[in-house]
Amino acid sequence: MTMDQRDESTQQDNELADFVDRLLDGKTPPASSTDEELVGLEKTLLRLSDTFPPETLDEAKSKQMLTRLKARMRREEEKKAAKPSFWARLFDLQANPQVGLLIAVAVVVVLVVINVPAVFQPVGSTLSGTASSGGSMYVGLGILVLLFIGYWVSRKK
Amino acid sequence: MTTNYMQNNLISLQDASDELLIQKYLNGERDAFDALYHRHLPKVYKRVRYVVPPNEVEDVTQEIFIAALKSLSSFRGDSKFGTWLRTLTNHKVAEFYRKRTRKQEPQLAPLSDAIAQVAGSTSQSLEDRIFLQRALLNLPENYQEILLLRFAEDLQFNEIAELTNQNLEATKSLFRRAVTALRNHLEK
Repeated sequence: MTMDQRDESTQQDNELADFVDRLLDGKTPPASSTDEELVGLEKTLLRLSDTFPPETLDEAKSKQMLTRLKARMRREEEKKAAKPSFWARLFDLQANPQVGLLIAVAVVVVLVVINVPAVFQPVGSTLSGTASSGGSMYVGLGILVLLFIGYWVSRKK
Repeated sequence: MTTNYMQNNLISLQDASDELLIQKYLNGERDAFDALYHRHLPKVYKRVRYVVPPNEVEDVTQEIFIAALKSLSSFRGDSKFGTWLRTLTNHKVAEFYRKRTRKQEPQLAPLSDAIAQVAGSTSQSLEDRIFLQRALLNLPENYQEILLLRFAEDLQFNEIAELTNQNLEATKSLFRRAVTALRNHLEK
């Protein structure tokens, strides 16, 4: 860009800025120069200004909007307070009996896993920690089977 | 006595800075938000009016203030509240169009559909408005922003220059390029 072109460009920037200042101040901007490019841009600004004429929010409308906003916030807060948390809903055994059953099954499975080494322990082992017998394993398995049957029956209902 | 106290309090709230109002609100003084709301509503409303269909302006404005209210505690004051709110406004407008796009492509939606939703305006002026809004929304972000700052927020060029950390000459140049781009979109 040459020096002359830059000057011309800066002049156009300033003219357009002056034009929009007058336009938005409510003064009718004078007809611009013969510069066709600038005339086109001024027409675009006039169109923008005509399409969006100044509109002020009156006090009544502002207050009405604030009242609606507060009402909505209150509703949202009430809704949030009324809604139980995820964990409360998860452990609501009346609404979700299967969850209770699953927890019981999990407990039994843990007990069984703990007892597994005892099952494979040779009888009469002299190793320490052999106090548990295979009996507890069968009791655990029995409870597991019973719980599973209970769960199956509740599912069918 | 109580009325006097309330009036004095309201006057002091009106004079307080944005940051102080936020602090007061976060400390439980609910009226502080009212002052903040009345101070910033006109600017937000005007900005939204330029980029959102007429029948949605109020709802989108409300969404912006609800979002502001919910995240006031996260406002750290790194920038001015007005700048923060302007960014939030832009996000909410973008979100509005994202939600709309899921239902229907706004760029392809016939103008008649949008016009039919609004009563009380002449169809020609509405058609112009929606046509211009679409042209504005299709502009690059910096062009869109400078037009909105000058037209919707009525900021002077020196104020825009200060806000955008540019010199006055660069700001006016950007403005002219933005208007040129808008004209090109309108002529398409």
